[in-house]
Order: sequence, then structure tokens, then C-alpha cells
Amino acid sequence: MQTLTAQHLTKVIGTRTIVNDVSFEIEEGEIFGFLGPNGAGKTTTIRMLVGLIKPTAGRVVICGHDVRHDFEKAMRCIGCIVETPDLYRFMSGRENLTHFARMLGVDGSEIERVAELVNLSHRLDQRVGTYSLGMRQRLGIAQALLGHPKLLILDEPANGLDPAGIREIRELLRSLAREHAMSVFVSSHLLAEIELTCDRVAIIHKGRILREGTVRELISSQRAMEFRVNDIERAAEILGDTAVIDHDRLLLPIEETAAPPLVAALTGAGIDVYRVAPNKQTLEEMFLEATGGETVD
Amino acid sequence: MLALMQNETLKLLRRRRFAIVLSILTAILLIVAYSQYRILRDNARHNWRADLQERVARAENALRRGRMNPSWARSVRAEIGRLQFYLDHDIDPEKPNVPRFVRTFANVAGFLLLPLLVSVLGSDIVSAEHAEGTDKLLLTRPVRRWKILAAKLGTLWMFATLTLLCGAVISFIVSSAVLPMHGWTEPTFNGFQLAKNAVRLDTVRQLPLWRDALIAYGLEWYALIAVASIALMLSVLFRSSAASIGTMLAALIGGTILTRISPDWTAGKYLFVSALPLADYYTGEPPPYDGMTLTFCLLLLAVWAGSAILVAFTLFTRRDVFG
Repeated sequence: MQTLTAQHLTKVIGTRTIVNDVSFEIEEGEIFGFLGPNGAGKTTTIRMLVGLIKPTAGRVVICGHDVRHDFEKAMRCIGCIVETPDLYRFMSGRENLTHFARMLGVDGSEIERVAELVNLSHRLDQRVGTYSLGMRQRLGIAQALLGHPKLLILDEPANGLDPAGIREIRELLRSLAREHAMSVFVSSHLLAEIELTCDRVAIIHKGRILREGTVRELISSQRAMEFRVNDIERAAEILGDTAVIDHDRLLLPIEETAAPPLVAALTGAGIDVYRVAPNKQTLEEMFLEATGGETVD
Repeated sequence: MLALMQNETLKLLRRRRFAIVLSILTAILLIVAYSQYRILRDNARHNWRADLQERVARAENALRRGRMNPSWARSVRAEIGRLQFYLDHDIDPEKPNVPRFVRTFANVAGFLLLPLLVSVLGSDIVSAEHAEGTDKLLLTRPVRRWKILAAKLGTLWMFATLTLLCGAVISFIVSSAVLPMHGWTEPTFNGFQLAKNAVRLDTVRQLPLWRDALIAYGLEWYALIAVASIALMLSVLFRSSAASIGTMLAALIGGTILTRISPDWTAGKYLFVSALPLADYYTGEPPPYDGMTLTFCLLLLAVWAGSAILVAFTLFTRRDVFG
């Protein structure tokens, strides 16, 4: 069952099309990553998902409720952080959580529960203005978890966290997805983080979704073997037309099992083979390729 | 809705706005009470009748010399009529005591101070959320936007009421330290109307001071509710606290100056600031423009407040929230 369905989302402001026919689905218990460079339409899309911006065309359905026509029911299914975790700085963490708990009609025990989950119980009575960015990020997630939502929408949740904090959040998200069948929508510019955290990824660029699929699919769609040899030119001749020279290495689109005979052929021709390894394309390389090399975020 | 208003109250108090408003009120009232106390001490030696007569004479001289702004001249004439009336009835209209101090607060503060304080309280109730980025959270919770704005409006009205009540209570406490307490049943006169060049006396009504005070406070409350509603609209229209509070203060102060300096520009009577000193008009201060009866002022404020609320809700519930 889909927790969230975005259908043909389009936002036009004046003559500019900021988001163009974006569609995707998030399954129950799935962590969905949303990647895109700055100005790609990431934030506008997120704002349309949570009802802050009205789409020019298309619609968003959350847990079976249309965001525009059934706003209250749809929002009851989600918890979110849009862009930065802005909370009321002049109030304490507990007052902030109380504020949002009141809007949901949930009781005080929920506040203790979510504070515990993000490991913030000990600082809850201090003013949010005194919090570090990482703590505010965690308080934002705590707020989003109030009332057991079915879907978490988090914009750059790793922002401002140290490596230990990032890992903590990753494990929290994973356990929420696994143990509570919660779906998570994460946008991030940390590709490695997305690769580690997410089940599925969509790449958005210039308002359009360029690629969408599981992390494994996206990475393995361009599997190759990598050869390092002493005479790269001659080796390329021997290996044939499909061989590609990439700086000091040769890339060949073949399976692992097809490699040994080729190694024999190379050594037979007097070429020294230093290394043969599967070339794992990282999400980053795939991403740069998909977006035409523009920097992320 | 109660939970939402609880939230808004919490935020308003935590921003310390109300504390600032109360401190300003207290500081101003302390100074005024002290000056009243000095008058009381001096009056022990002076004769109030002689004082009033002198003031009437001086005002008449000023009128005779002419070259007076017409609206100012009307005001002076009304003043002469009123003072003369009190002289004729042998009543000291300015005898310093606690009831009169509390009563006068409604007129004096209602003119500009209370509207300014209410504006400071409320003119950024929406724009501050936008400036601080918290609107993204506030508006993605399962509560419809109109309910959120209604809670904000309700809270503003509540605090406008509280500001007025606190003003009354503080003026009572402060003045009771230095002024005599009795006088709640002293007669007061109101309903003075200016006709041509003389004050009409047939419309004058006599009321005990406490009832007169209740009416003045009621009118002032009405005006403050209108101010709070307009403040809400500005807080929706602007995106930063400074812009919305600044615009509201400029409208109040600028409008007040305008109604005083250009009485010939009769369209000025449709400005909401012209109608704000309701308590003054009730007591007998002539409004700056012809045709501004109390009913007209009440209706005018209702139209302004109603339109402001309509604009605020229409915009707030429909617009896109960008960063």
C-alpha cells in the first residue's frame, strides 16, 4: 500500500515552471530519498506535499487522503521538517513540543516518548535558542514524531549533525521504518548518506525527475569490470570496442565471471595486469552523470 | 480552538510583549499620578473656581485674536462651554481623586497610547511566524488555516481587553497611593455638543462617575478590538515583524497627525484613526470632522475591522507559503 502518492505535480509561477510533472510513490515502511541540486525544485515539491503550496496541476494523496480536499486527515498521517528545523527559539524544547502536541490533541506522555527517541530528554527545559543546530534538528524530528505519523518528511535531516549524530539519525530512521512500518521521505545532498539510508531514490533536476529506482538498481544499471594494466592502449585493442579508457584504468561492461579469460589473453600478450575488480559506480557518479555534472545543493 | 488559543497565549507571553506593554503603562501612569498629586497639593492653597475662570478667559482671548485653525477653534469653543457649565453648577471637574484618575485614563490613553500598545502586541502575530520560519510547522499540522488565524484573532482580542483592564487596574493602584479614594458617585456631565459657535446644553446628561467610567471604558474597548483586527490584517500582509509593526504605528500616528492638521480634507473622517478616540467624543470633545457622530464612529470602526478580518482570512487561507 502506498503511504504517499504524488501525481503529476506541477508548479508554475509567472512564466517559470519550477516543478514539472513530478510523480512518485512511497510504499509503507520504505525510506525514500530525494536528491537534487540547488534550485532543482526539491523544496517546492516538499512544500506541495505538505500543503504549504498549492500545485498548479497534479495532486498529492497521503494515506488515501487528498491533501487539498482532506487536509486535516492527510496531515494527521505525517510529521515533517521543511527546509530548516525552525522552532520557537524563545520557548523551551518542552514548550515547543507541548505547543505542537496540543495541535494534534495528543497528551503529555507523547512528549516524553519522542524526546526519549531522539535523545533530548536532558535538555528539554532549556530555551531552544540555546540549542546547537544538531539539537534543533533532533527536536524537529521529535516534533515530527508526535502522534505516531505514518510518514515522516524530512528535509536535509543530516544538516548540522556530526558523524555520530548522522549515524544516530540513520539508525533511528531505519528502526522506525522496520519496526513501526513508518515510511520516510528524506531529501539530502549527502549522497553517501542517501545510499546508506534509503531503499529507493528519485533524482530531481530542473523541476523534473530524471531517474527513479532502488539504490541498487540505479547503481548496478551500469555495472563494469575495472582493469589496471601497464600498457593501457594495447590492452584496449585486445579487449575490443566495448572497452573504455578512463584516466589510468580500463572499463569493460562485462560480468565478473567473464573476466579470467580476458586476463589470460592480456598476460599472454605480455601486458602486466595489476588489478581486476568490479567497478562499483557510486551514487555520486551516477548522480553527476544524470544531472550533467552540476554540484549538489 | 481553546488549545490553539492556549498556544497563541503561550507564544505571546514568552515573547515578553505583554510584559513590555505593562511596564510602559505602569511607568506612564506613575508619572501622571505624581503630577496629579502635585496638583492636589497646590490646589489645597488654590481656588479651583478662580483657575477655571482664568482658563475660560484665556481661551476666549485666544479665540478673539483669531487666526486659529478652524478645528482647533472648535475644540477651544467646546472646552469653554464645558468649563462654563461646570462653573455654573459649582462642580470642580478636575478634582484629583482615584475614581476620576481611573476614568480619565480611558480618554487620555485611548487617544493614542492604548492603540499603540495593542499594535505592539499584535501587529506581528502572523508575520513573526513567517520571519522565524515557524509557519512551515504551524501550517502543516492537522488544523485548517482559518482555525489557526481565528485563534490568533481571538487571542489578540483577549489581550487587547486585558491591556485595557490592566490599564484601569494599574491606574487605580498607582493613584490610590497618592490621591483620595472617594468620588465614585460624583456627578459627571457628558453629551456636550457644539452647534454653530456655542455649546448646546440641552443634550447634556448627568451620570454618576462610575457609570460614566463604565461607558467610557466600553467605548475604548470597542476601539481597541477594531485596532487589534486591523493589526491582524497587517501581520498577514507583511512578511517581517518590523514591517508590520512599523506600518501599523505609522498609520496610527500619521493618521492622528493628519486629522489634526488638515481638517479641510473631509475624506479624513473615513480614516479609522479619526474614529478611534471614541471616549473623547462621548465626553464632548468635538470630532475633527463634521458629521462624525458617535454612531458614525462606531459603524466606521466596525466596517474597518470587518474588512480587515475579511482580507486577513482570505489571504491567509489561500496563499502559498514560500521560504
